[in-house]
Amino acid sequence: MKIVMIRFVKRLIAGLIMILVVASFTFLLVRLMPGDPVQAKYDQLLLNGLTPIQAMDEVRVMYGFIPHQPLWIQYVHYLSQILHLNLGQSISYEGTPVMRIILGAAPWTIILVLTGTIASFIVGVLAGVIAAIKRNSLAGSAITISGSVLHGIPLFVMALFLAYVLTTIYAILPFGAPYNAALTPGFNGPFLSSLARHALLPVFTYALSSYGGWLLTMKSSVISVLGDDFILASEVRGLKTSTRIGYIAHNAILPLFTILALSIGFMFGGSLFIEDIFDYPGLGNLLVNAINSRDYPLMSGAFLLITVAVIASNIITDFLYSVVDPRIRR
Amino acid sequence: MSAELKHKQATAPAVQVRGLNVVYATNQGDLPAVRQVDLDIEARKITGIIGESGSGKSTLVMAMMNAVGKPGQIVSGSVEVLGVGDMLSIDRERQRKARGKELGLVFQAAQNSLNPLRRIGHQVLDLGRSHDVKDLRDLLRKAKDLLTRLGMDADRVLASYQHELSGGMRQRVGIMFALILDAKIVILDEATTALDMLSQASVLEIVRELHKERGLTTILVTHDMGVVADMADRVVVMYGGEIVEEGPSEFVLSHPAHPYTQGLVRAIPRISGDIDRAVPLQGAPADLKTYLEPGCPFYQRCPVAMPKCQESRPTSLAVSQDRKVACFKVTDHD
Ligand SMILES: Nc1ncnc2c1ncn2[C@@H]1O[C@H](COP(=O)(O)OP(=O)(O)O)[C@@H](O)[C@H]1O
Ligand SMILES: [Mg+2]
Repeated sequence: MKIVMIRFVKRLIAGLIMILVVASFTFLLVRLMPGDPVQAKYDQLLLNGLTPIQAMDEVRVMYGFIPHQPLWIQYVHYLSQILHLNLGQSISYEGTPVMRIILGAAPWTIILVLTGTIASFIVGVLAGVIAAIKRNSLAGSAITISGSVLHGIPLFVMALFLAYVLTTIYAILPFGAPYNAALTPGFNGPFLSSLARHALLPVFTYALSSYGGWLLTMKSSVISVLGDDFILASEVRGLKTSTRIGYIAHNAILPLFTILALSIGFMFGGSLFIEDIFDYPGLGNLLVNAINSRDYPLMSGAFLLITVAVIASNIITDFLYSVVDPRIRR
Repeated sequence: MSAELKHKQATAPAVQVRGLNVVYATNQGDLPAVRQVDLDIEARKITGIIGESGSGKSTLVMAMMNAVGKPGQIVSGSVEVLGVGDMLSIDRERQRKARGKELGLVFQAAQNSLNPLRRIGHQVLDLGRSHDVKDLRDLLRKAKDLLTRLGMDADRVLASYQHELSGGMRQRVGIMFALILDAKIVILDEATTALDMLSQASVLEIVRELHKERGLTTILVTHDMGVVADMADRVVVMYGGEIVEEGPSEFVLSHPAHPYTQGLVRAIPRISGDIDRAVPLQGAPADLKTYLEPGCPFYQRCPVAMPKCQESRPTSLAVSQDRKVACFKVTDHD
């Protein structure tokens, strides 16, 4: 257990360094952006009739740093603001703290990524086991082909196709908006079911787009474990088929956790696409809107928070991995 | 009459292999790794199976358990196991039950024979449950006894994962797994190869003790003539997938009949008694090409080959009551 903790702490430190790097990067990005948005905002406020001091205060609140100060003082100020969880104020949502906007959007993305990933992981892994064990049969080949095809279709094509079929041709599912606006949000039946119905299409698209990857990876992992000596040994010792399948599945699924950890970044990428296409109000959508409206504080805040989320989930996955694989525990 | 029947049962072979053929599908064609093997394994004896690497020993013993892995396939034959039936034709569930319980095998890669993600103790329990062992605590006790006898700290081993054990320890754990269900027929395929000379000797000594105590039928697969000389009552010599000679080990070793056996014996300093006089076998072991030739598989390397040996294959014939040789030079006396 001690080794697991040491590993965990190491990862944590590496993660914090990474976050610092990304924070510095977003700081520089906004500062070095052509046309310097901070300076531009400052000038605009002056033109609106504010005194230089008022304008400076306004800009500082908005971006979290002060123009006309040496760069490093701005940098230190910016970092201390981040430590206080203050990401400045949004430009497009006049005066709203960036943190509040992001926290409002985050749950939608988390719902999407979490349910989509869990669903595709479970179904993909089970299908992968069957595809590997029955790889010489018709059913096995059919499953493998389903995985390859779905894996090969670009996300936006799949999203548009599903949207077209399920909201236009058959009109089974609602399109856009996270829930029916006529309902009062809260813990009541109609609202929750509306919530679920609206989430179904994005989640389903998301799950379908990652199902093929899990299936194909699990299949090849199972096939490689099937060739391991200990599987032959378990047969020679007369272990029950169910026990042997348990051995195979346990050993085959481990590499997938590594891939899970590695692909969390991509998952947010995928979510960004889907939220944009389905107009679903998550972080991805927020980021796209922020970019379109040149809302730099919101942009860098969202970017930073997505980074933190990716790094945190990486650390957690890695920690879980070292719990399930005894070989790492030495 | 009944006395005669009793006598017959007592001497019935523990395993009777008939007309066994196993091929591996390779990209250069089918490789007949075991060819037309007929073999009786005598009950309660130690039988050594010897031959250079690649001669088909492992394939033969795996086929005895009907556990030849892909791309191998048992093409024909039967393996009659005493008290079980023909391993190649009884239903799968009975085959599974026989594996481990009647036939214990320590196979060649025994170092990697354990599930890396489960503690050894758990794997003992998995085995017990698979074979409907009622008293699992008793099974663990047996495991401990065996591990202790094999010179290990039993409690530590049972609580360990495979990666926490050395190669030699894993191999001993493999031996424990082959013996724990009290299988009467125990097959050790190069089971001591990964051990150093000293622990090899001590493990073999334990195998010999257990063999006596439990009245086992033991099959020792090895490429070490010395091991056969020390341990085996009978010896079976394989070359190119065939049995070229078999008989009581003392006679076969002191008066090898087949030129290949003669070569093997000469190559062992412990037997010829003098390191300077140990002569390594000339030439390369049998390969796919040798397997497919019509003549004697040993023809290319044989110091006493005749023209006939290139054309046809010698069959295994009895040269005395319990000794068989497949060589024209030996069997063509008249
Ligand atoms: N999985 C396999 N695929 C193809 N050929 C194999 C395989 N296993 C063994 N063989 C071939 O079968 C022959 C006999 O092998 P084996 O039974 O392992 O011999 P031994 O145990 O005497 O060393 C060898 O020529 C070997 O190359
Ligand atoms: Mg072998």
